[in-house]
Amino acid sequence: MPKTLDTEYLDDTTNLIAVLRAAVADCRAPDPATRHALGRLDNPTALRTAGRVLARLRLDGDDLRPVRVAVLAPFTTGGFEHLLRATLIGAGTLPTIDVGAYGAFEISLATNAFDADGSPDVVACLLNDSYFRPARWSATDVPALVAHLDDRMADLRELVLASAQRTGATLVLHTVPMPAELRDGLVSWRGRAAVAAAWHRLNAGILELAAAHSQVTVVDLVGLLADVGAPSRDERLHSYADMPYTDEVLTVLAQQVRRVTQARLGLSRRVLALDLDNTLWGGVLGEVGPEGVQLGGLYPGKCYAGLQHAAARLREQGVILALASKNDADLVDRTLTGHPEVALRPDAFSARAVNWAPKAGNLRAMSETLSLSTGSFVFMDDSPFERGHVRAELPDVAVVSAAGDPAHLTGSLLQHGWFDVLDLTDTDRRRPELYRARSMRIEHSAAFTSSQDYLNALALEMTGTPVTGYTVPRAAQLAARTNQFNLTGLRYDETTTGAMGTDPDHLVAVFSVADRFGDEGIVGAVWADVTGPQWRIGNLVLSCRVLGRGVELAIVEWIARRAAAAGADQLTARYVRTDRNGAADGFLDKAGFGRPGDDGWCALQLADRPDTFPTWIRLRDDER
Amino acid sequence: MTDSPATSIKDTILEILGDVLAEPVEALHAEPVLAVHAWDSIASLEALVLIERQLGVALDLRPYHAARDVDDLVDLVAEARGIQSTKARP
Repeated sequence: MPKTLDTEYLDDTTNLIAVLRAAVADCRAPDPATRHALGRLDNPTALRTAGRVLARLRLDGDDLRPVRVAVLAPFTTGGFEHLLRATLIGAGTLPTIDVGAYGAFEISLATNAFDADGSPDVVACLLNDSYFRPARWSATDVPALVAHLDDRMADLRELVLASAQRTGATLVLHTVPMPAELRDGLVSWRGRAAVAAAWHRLNAGILELAAAHSQVTVVDLVGLLADVGAPSRDERLHSYADMPYTDEVLTVLAQQVRRVTQARLGLSRRVLALDLDNTLWGGVLGEVGPEGVQLGGLYPGKCYAGLQHAAARLREQGVILALASKNDADLVDRTLTGHPEVALRPDAFSARAVNWAPKAGNLRAMSETLSLSTGSFVFMDDSPFERGHVRAELPDVAVVSAAGDPAHLTGSLLQHGWFDVLDLTDTDRRRPELYRARSMRIEHSAAFTSSQDYLNALALEMTGTPVTGYTVPRAAQLAARTNQFNLTGLRYDETTTGAMGTDPDHLVAVFSVADRFGDEGIVGAVWADVTGPQWRIGNLVLSCRVLGRGVELAIVEWIARRAAAAGADQLTARYVRTDRNGAADGFLDKAGFGRPGDDGWCALQLADRPDTFPTWIRLRDDER
Repeated sequence: MTDSPATSIKDTILEILGDVLAEPVEALHAEPVLAVHAWDSIASLEALVLIERQLGVALDLRPYHAARDVDDLVDLVAEARGIQSTKARP
């Protein structure tokens, strides 16, 4: 019987494959520990075998998030499908992968053939050098070669941007290594430099597609390959089967496509919980004191400082930092405040658990304080005991090792892309401060005898605004990430949200909330069909950060007022149960909607609607 | 008794072929002629990559594609490793 929580057991690939086979045989999703082991796997042979085994996975439950990925390539993709499947399942998704026909790369992009059954979530457009370079070229006419590369890049740009315009999918492209044949086929250094420069421009052209369209993401494969110690091509497979990449390269590509997919689905992690001793600084604070810890200066202190700066940069990009350390809290405070090399001062942390209690319990408590599931946590610690304990108690937490040579600290934290997002929103950047305010708010609440007093003292204000180009990404992000207060489970993506936002028959609005502790930013969104006398709510989502404050009732009032002003007489909505949206159950009844009809829809009569508006919220209608 | 090198090569190859062809190893024992199974160009290259990685050899594609049955593959790998083939085949 495999011990699925024993990570060492699962780090042996033979055992991991056996556990995967057992899951497939039982029609159940691999458990979180197994998925994490799969996520850590970077051995192409084992990953490919895992993908082949998992191709037969049929699930009874809905433990994994379904995702559709199309793969297009102007060459034979070989094991890419298996590698991609394994890494996507490792990330907690259940992929349906559709590999386009050989030789149909351009026609598929030109006609969006992958959209035949509705847009997939992601289209991986794999590229190789043959796509860009001429079949025959002359070493005496380098300018002709360069002109050909430019033309092919222009063709690709046109194809990709037109395709992105017509699909709801995120297109993933990548840079392409320059083939040895071009480099070595020229004998003059000057000619070689000219062709290499042209090839770099070609790759820059591919990278620039990301700036040209919001649905295009580009992976810098060439940069990544510098860190992969393996040949990128097997000439036998290239010439026999038009397979330009080895499994090592395809593994890198699969991992990158997985990261983009995770970001697109809103499955990125949001909290980084860090240990202190031998993680954020070297040495044990309790033994060596604040002046004695290794931090800054030469090795190894510079490695710990490097990790602190890396964490500070993550915080600038919206990652919530938390401390999880078995230490004396006063001593830690003195060190964080007074040590000249500290990059993470006390106010950098939105939550702190510096005590002698087990870390798993501390992380669970932080997850409750922050209203973020343990599945959004990454935990970094040098102690195998602490890591093992957290893995066993909280299998959803991603655990990163800070053990070994401190030179690897920053790389260990960043290499898996736990926090990747497609785009940073304004709310992302402000998130750490928002969550710090939240922790303070919870302390404040302890001083009140009733929640009504507390809510009145908060001085809540809510602002509703129809979406604009600036707020569409945040609305789509809320749709992707909100699980608890998600009325129907419908996840409108950015393209659909943008289209509905400009369509007079639809209304998409975002809601922001502020109180005496600060501005929460946009925390809710609604998608509605607003034709005729009956307005229909397609979905209403509210960040769990503001649950329990009546904001959802204020949102209904905001829509009801607009509907009444537009001459409608009814607002209809429905609750569709998912496996996680219990928080929205009973909401429609509380908001004054009638009982559900046979079709599940409930109606709110606008003319004589009950007053459900919370007295402690002030509504600011910020029309633009 | 320890397995001869060719036997352990054969076991590894059978395991790989079973995985790639989605067939039990017994079926390959019973019918070792590759063409009888779904041995197309995709499957053969997938098996090639796995055989080379797991057994630490590099094979020439020409004799690889000429291989008719499992024992032919075992001989190729043994030869690439410089091991005297133990085959006792007609």
